[in-house]
Amino acid sequence: MDWNFLSETFVSLIAAIPLTLSLAGLSILFGAVLALGLAMARLSGIPALDWFARSYVFLFRGTPLLVQIFLIYYGIGQFPAVRHSILWPILRQPYWCAVLALTLNTAAYASEIIRGGLLSVPHGQIEAARACGMGRFMQFRRIIWPLAIRQALPGYGNEMISMVKATSLASIITLMEVTGVAAKLISETYRAIEVFIVAGAIYLAINFLLTRLIQLLEYWLSPHLRQPRPLLMPTTEGDAP
Amino acid sequence: MTDTAPALSVRNLHKSFGPVEVLKGISLDAQQGDVISILGSSGSGKSTLLRCINMLETPDSGDITVAGETIHMQSRPKGNRPTDRRQVDRIRSRLGMVFQSFNLWSHKTVLENIIEAPIHVQRRPKAECIEEAEALLAKVGIADKRNHYPSHLSGGQQQRAAIARALAMQPKVMLFDEPTSALDPELVGEVLRVMRGLAEEGRTMLVVTHEMGFARDVSSRVIFVHQGLIEADGKPHEVFANSKSDRFRQFISK
Repeated sequence: MDWNFLSETFVSLIAAIPLTLSLAGLSILFGAVLALGLAMARLSGIPALDWFARSYVFLFRGTPLLVQIFLIYYGIGQFPAVRHSILWPILRQPYWCAVLALTLNTAAYASEIIRGGLLSVPHGQIEAARACGMGRFMQFRRIIWPLAIRQALPGYGNEMISMVKATSLASIITLMEVTGVAAKLISETYRAIEVFIVAGAIYLAINFLLTRLIQLLEYWLSPHLRQPRPLLMPTTEGDAP
Repeated sequence: MTDTAPALSVRNLHKSFGPVEVLKGISLDAQQGDVISILGSSGSGKSTLLRCINMLETPDSGDITVAGETIHMQSRPKGNRPTDRRQVDRIRSRLGMVFQSFNLWSHKTVLENIIEAPIHVQRRPKAECIEEAEALLAKVGIADKRNHYPSHLSGGQQQRAAIARALAMQPKVMLFDEPTSALDPELVGEVLRVMRGLAEEGRTMLVVTHEMGFARDVSSRVIFVHQGLIEADGKPHEVFANSKSDRFRQFISK
């Protein structure tokens, strides 16, 4: 083992971690918002919205992410309307194309995860919220969403981990995230195995931390599934989500 | 709103589920302090009646008036619906509902369950709500369970917590939908004792139940619903002793 080379590679790849994290973080964040909208559309009972969300999920779940990235990066610039729109300064950048593609893709999967969570909320608990005079928005905010997110979290954790790995595809459109830098190092050194071992270890470390974070969140959100708290502890967190 | 208005008034209530007509014109008045037991075999429409009163089911026709305020309805091609959703929310907040399956919010502790609606629906100060919740918990006998989550309580304790939750809204009328039917026999008594206590305080209560003892001894009035209509109605000793309804005599002899 050439430890010297490995450590040099490691140092080069570490510099690319912020880009990987920002691609994953932004697309998970935007994707979650879009996914919630799609899940609500599926459950709205309004045929047009339901149909739109179904088609969206069908399209983005049924085609490869790589194809989606190519289509967005090379494809939408073909339309003069896009080139002349105010969004062009954003859409012409590979970074934002990658964020857009990853966002649209994760939203399709995440919307189904969120829909599952929303459907798992026991009907009786929603009825109890209605019966005490909560309006629809309050029912959602105080009762339905907190219960749904607890159910959806394990599945959503999977999706987040997938997204971290999926950012590697952004290297195809010139982005120098971890995989992009790794590919460049290989083309310079022809030492594929060592470079990819280091790159793989970096993804593993990121996902290890992410998994722990999700576990922590799950623990924090599920006190009702643990043993009772000791008595006499003041409970005043009635406002906790 | 006047003092003479009944706490709750139901006029000519109709409700169908598809082709099945469940309520065929039910009218009843509950005066302040009435404890009305609603009896009937399963499928008679008694639970639907209760659920129509707080609009968990939308009646097809008929009027519901709570403490002098009538729920405004409008007819739509796809069936009736309330004109003003906020009015329904407001009226619901004056009706305490206790469900057969408790329906406590599983992600909140007992105390959080009780203070949730007073704080967020009625917008009362939190400290006041907590103080009141603790008094209610003591009253239903589970003060030591305030920090427990519903899944850590027995059915009887959950139902008592649910009663405390309903009481925390300071309701004009309490609605009980078969509150002991999901409980093990040995846990029924603790819930009935709490309900008896409420009746003795002079609370207005509508209780859909199969507990004949409660109907006979605690309630001030018994209504027997059969096939969507009120078949017998009166003071418990009158109804139980010499009801003119053959069906009711048949029902209680089972």
